[in-house]
Amino acid sequence: MHADAARTASALQRLLDLALVWESPGGLRPLTGVADAMRGMPGLASGLRPSSPEPAAAADIAARLAELSPAATAMLRHVDEHGGEGTTGAARRTVSPAEARTPAEELLSRRLLVPREGSTVVLPGEVGLALRGGRTTTEPVDRVPELATASRDAGLVARSAAGAAFDVVRRVELLLDQWSVRPPGVLRSGGLAVRDLKAVAAELHVDEAGAALVVEVALSAGLVAEAAVADGTPSWLPTDEFDVWSGRPISERWARLVGGWVTSARVPSLVGSRDAAGKAWNALAPELSSGLAEEARLLALRVLSDLPDGEVLAAGTGVASLVQRVDWLRPRCPRVFSDLVAAALSEAAALGVSGAGGLPPSGRLVAAGDLTGAAETIAPELPRPVDHVLLQADLTAVAPGPLETEVARRLHLLADIESRGGATVYRFTSGSLRRGFDAGWSSVEVRDFLHTVSQTPVPQPLEFLVDDVARTFGSVRVGHAEAFLRSDDEAALAALVHDPRARTLGLRLLAPTVAIATTPLDVLLPRLRELGSAPVVEAADGTVRVSRPDLLRARSRRGRRPAGAVEARQTAQVQAVATAIRAGDRAESSRPPTAEATNPSAALAALREAIEGGTTVVIGYVDNHGATGERVVDPRRLDGGRLSAYDHRADDVREFAVHRITGVRRA
Amino acid sequence: MNDGPLIVQSDKTLLLEVDHPSAPEARKAIAPFAELERSPEHIHTYRLTPLGLWNARAAGHDAEQVVDALLTWSRYAVPHALLVDVAETMGRYGRLRLEKHPVHGLVLSSTDRPVLEEVLRAKKIAGMVGARIDDDSVAVHPSERGNLKQALLKLGWPAEDFAGYVDGEAHAIDLAEDGWTLRPYQREAAESFWDGGSGVVVLPCGAGKTIVGAASMAHAQATTLILVTNTVSARQWKDELIARTSLTADEIGEYSGAVKEIRPVTIATYQVLTTKRKGVYPHLDLLDARDWGLIVYDEVHLLPAPIFRMTADLQARRRLGLTATLVREDGREGEVFSLIGPKRYDAPWKDIEAQGYIAPADCVEVRVTLPDGERLAYATSDPDTRYRLASCTHAKIDVVRDLVRRHAGQPTLVIGQYIDQLDEIAAMLDAPVIKGETPVKERQRLFNAFRSGEIGLLVVSKVANFSIDLPSAEVAIQVSGSFGSRQEEAQRLGRLLRPKTEGRSAHFYTIVSRDTVDADFAQNRQRFLAEQGYAYRIVDAGDLQSPA
Repeated sequence: MHADAARTASALQRLLDLALVWESPGGLRPLTGVADAMRGMPGLASGLRPSSPEPAAAADIAARLAELSPAATAMLRHVDEHGGEGTTGAARRTVSPAEARTPAEELLSRRLLVPREGSTVVLPGEVGLALRGGRTTTEPVDRVPELATASRDAGLVARSAAGAAFDVVRRVELLLDQWSVRPPGVLRSGGLAVRDLKAVAAELHVDEAGAALVVEVALSAGLVAEAAVADGTPSWLPTDEFDVWSGRPISERWARLVGGWVTSARVPSLVGSRDAAGKAWNALAPELSSGLAEEARLLALRVLSDLPDGEVLAAGTGVASLVQRVDWLRPRCPRVFSDLVAAALSEAAALGVSGAGGLPPSGRLVAAGDLTGAAETIAPELPRPVDHVLLQADLTAVAPGPLETEVARRLHLLADIESRGGATVYRFTSGSLRRGFDAGWSSVEVRDFLHTVSQTPVPQPLEFLVDDVARTFGSVRVGHAEAFLRSDDEAALAALVHDPRARTLGLRLLAPTVAIATTPLDVLLPRLRELGSAPVVEAADGTVRVSRPDLLRARSRRGRRPAGAVEARQTAQVQAVATAIRAGDRAESSRPPTAEATNPSAALAALREAIEGGTTVVIGYVDNHGATGERVVDPRRLDGGRLSAYDHRADDVREFAVHRITGVRRA
Repeated sequence: MNDGPLIVQSDKTLLLEVDHPSAPEARKAIAPFAELERSPEHIHTYRLTPLGLWNARAAGHDAEQVVDALLTWSRYAVPHALLVDVAETMGRYGRLRLEKHPVHGLVLSSTDRPVLEEVLRAKKIAGMVGARIDDDSVAVHPSERGNLKQALLKLGWPAEDFAGYVDGEAHAIDLAEDGWTLRPYQREAAESFWDGGSGVVVLPCGAGKTIVGAASMAHAQATTLILVTNTVSARQWKDELIARTSLTADEIGEYSGAVKEIRPVTIATYQVLTTKRKGVYPHLDLLDARDWGLIVYDEVHLLPAPIFRMTADLQARRRLGLTATLVREDGREGEVFSLIGPKRYDAPWKDIEAQGYIAPADCVEVRVTLPDGERLAYATSDPDTRYRLASCTHAKIDVVRDLVRRHAGQPTLVIGQYIDQLDEIAAMLDAPVIKGETPVKERQRLFNAFRSGEIGLLVVSKVANFSIDLPSAEVAIQVSGSFGSRQEEAQRLGRLLRPKTEGRSAHFYTIVSRDTVDADFAQNRQRFLAEQGYAYRIVDAGDLQSPA
């Protein structure tokens, strides 16, 4: 061990006392299972690695080391510092020291590196020991890495932490208020789209890393969850917990966020960086977590809380020194642990757990796991909620601190928010006031509210604006009716509206001479007649529609074709029929005289004869549908199994398949 | 929690609680770097802008001071991102410097090589710089000094100008403080301008910007070119300079449409300089006519675009901008910053009013209801004629008469946009009208008569908006304005703010037609007034009879 002997002995004694190690006849041995229970990777903490089966003598190894070229020595040290394994690439495995050309070959030939499967080589344990001068580590392990610190006023630490705490609470609230109205969609891979994250960053006036932290913290605190919105798209929505949360005092809200953060496995710091496959991590993506995250945070906070009050991490070097200390405390943890610790520190600052590089009393309680206590401790440091605003003649209202929730909600209804931060600036416009009237406020209520909420007299222009909006508000009214009734006879109209029999018609008097009905016209009209009035129907343009019932008529048929066309078609039809009859006649007349050629070769011969002679023949033909008929044709050509012939009935040249011709005879 | 008067919002606004006991101290601490945006009665709003931070840098403040001021006075924790942003923005100013090099003349140099590389790579800049001298500097042609500064500002790396100024032709100018003295803030303004070299002095209307100009001339002791908005204001400058300085009438020339004199001190109008004939500006020679040692821009917020281009060529001369507001309706504040210079002095209206140098004003908006006939005409009219219809309703004329009667004996101005309406009002009140077509001589006569009290009532069009000194006006009645122009409102109110005898307060009435675009525009203008801290009342025309 590279450590003071006394310290080593006391450490061993402590291990013995804790019964983690026992004295076996062959020396000290760890309790079975202890090594497994310690997480992390073996071999990272110390340089101890399995020795080769037949270790060479230390002196021998030293001699071999001495022979090495500087390049080879450097390489060996590099391998040793980086886990005792490396790859050699093109180096030959079996070479003698004399033939070695590259540093790798030098090492291999002297068996200072031992080849394994593939191109991997390992550093035998005994070589490592020799390299470090017979010790397990190059650096002494009994020296605790110092933290780089600076002194800072404890009050400032508490103030800047409280400022950050207030900011994060405000941002989460603002974010979720936004998402209640316009929730962003959930990516198919489960995260938040980069575009949505950018929008959040712009809305909250933070950079994207800051925005990622805010959404991740909201998630860890259980204030955000996936749910489908009305149209079925999965979206990120505030949970019902959010409503409870936003009603609590700021300090408690903060404690809830911090509690979620400390114990969460999420790693917001990775958002925006790329994974091994080169794909950027999205915020809220389910894979964005690490089993070590919680431990990293707790450890970082614990180390910070070891600093006395008034002492904080030094501005430039503080974080790096703390990471070193944590590495020393957790030597077996993988390298990524250091990154997590550094991230945890910056997150703690952003969340107001730490401030100016140190832990305020509230942060110490968080580190100790006492969230309730932390909330109580930070409460006096946070901006006190105010219940009043300052109204000004330029129609703005300034709340010089966080407004009480109820006042804030009401003011938000009546005025638009112009600027947010520690204070909120509201602006009254006729539009915003009208929104208030729409929500059911009356001008008296608005004035009363303004008077009670304002510390200063309500400026005259604002009162004037309220009255002005009230004056025009509702000066035009819009409603829905199926029909209207108007009459110059006010009494008649009133009588009709109040007639108990007309109750089902939904009549309502709008003015002495106008009433509306919720019943459609076709129902209303007969009912009114039944009630004894004689209504006249008005068309949309105000003209009177005569109420004579419409006589039903069918539509007359549309125009015929011109006579000439019909005639021509008929003539053509007649001619076609005549042609067919004539062809049939010819067939009939010629049927008996000549004998029918019924076998195919005779038929073919008859056809050829007819082609040569240019005579007309009658053929029996099986058509596509399998029906047999006779055609009177003048054969023209015969080839390829097809007969081309003038068909008398069709008055055109047709093609006939020879195999379908059943017989041929002279016409 | 710190009990400071300041609340720093993450959107870079600073809210200052005025009634807080340490508010004055906090105001003093943040004023150099934050722009006062609104100053209503209880909470003043400041905004951190890059220009404001650079102004502070130019005035010698560094990021640490700014951050310290924020942390000291802030009631709640200051958003960390904002502090980082402040430091970063301020760090951008001065990385690049324009300097005089003994061998290469004007050079752009930087201690931060990557920044220099970055800007040199920008296409726009490449054309303006010459040969690379060494790794850290590059030659700049003197004629590109202004353009380069403008372009660098656009890139977000404003250059600090150390190249200095030419002294110009010497000319003895002294303040003649007989029977009057420079007010403390005027002296301060002139001095901080002189120390800074070039820049803008922001003072409210009526606070004596002309005197600041005169004091600066006394510092310069050199020939001076003064650019003003119009001829009447040119005459007023001349009168004022004769009265307040050792200059005599012979030494001061007027260069306008009518007269073209070039003297050691020359007062020119923007209009004559920007007149274009056959595509060239024939009067540009004026700028080179003498070796000017100082150029004064009156009403910087109105500088027309061609003047900016000319100013770009005048970077070797000292430039003083005078204005009541840095707000430009066209948003070219950046050009004022880069071409004329950073803000050198600023005093909020209310402070100067509290010191008794400008009169307090009572602002009242009178709402009239359109008669039914006009209302219908309004509703059915085209959108582009609506404003005119609403502005020129006859209902307003009755109100004007009532108001004039009520303030009988007090010098009263009726201000309007539409000539027909003004003519009608003038006829009804039997008062003289000053409008665009009124000859300058006649205008002068009427203004003089008004000033001396011969005339108690004057109807003026927008020609009177700027730089016309009518210190005796006690009541202004605005019947129509050019849409919602904020600076017009400021100028009109400015007419009234010249100090009054017997500490009487001024009255500013705006007559507005209810439920029309007129009221919408009026709201825009009044918001500006309220933000300047002038609480205004709204009165119904019907209630005017009873004392409101």
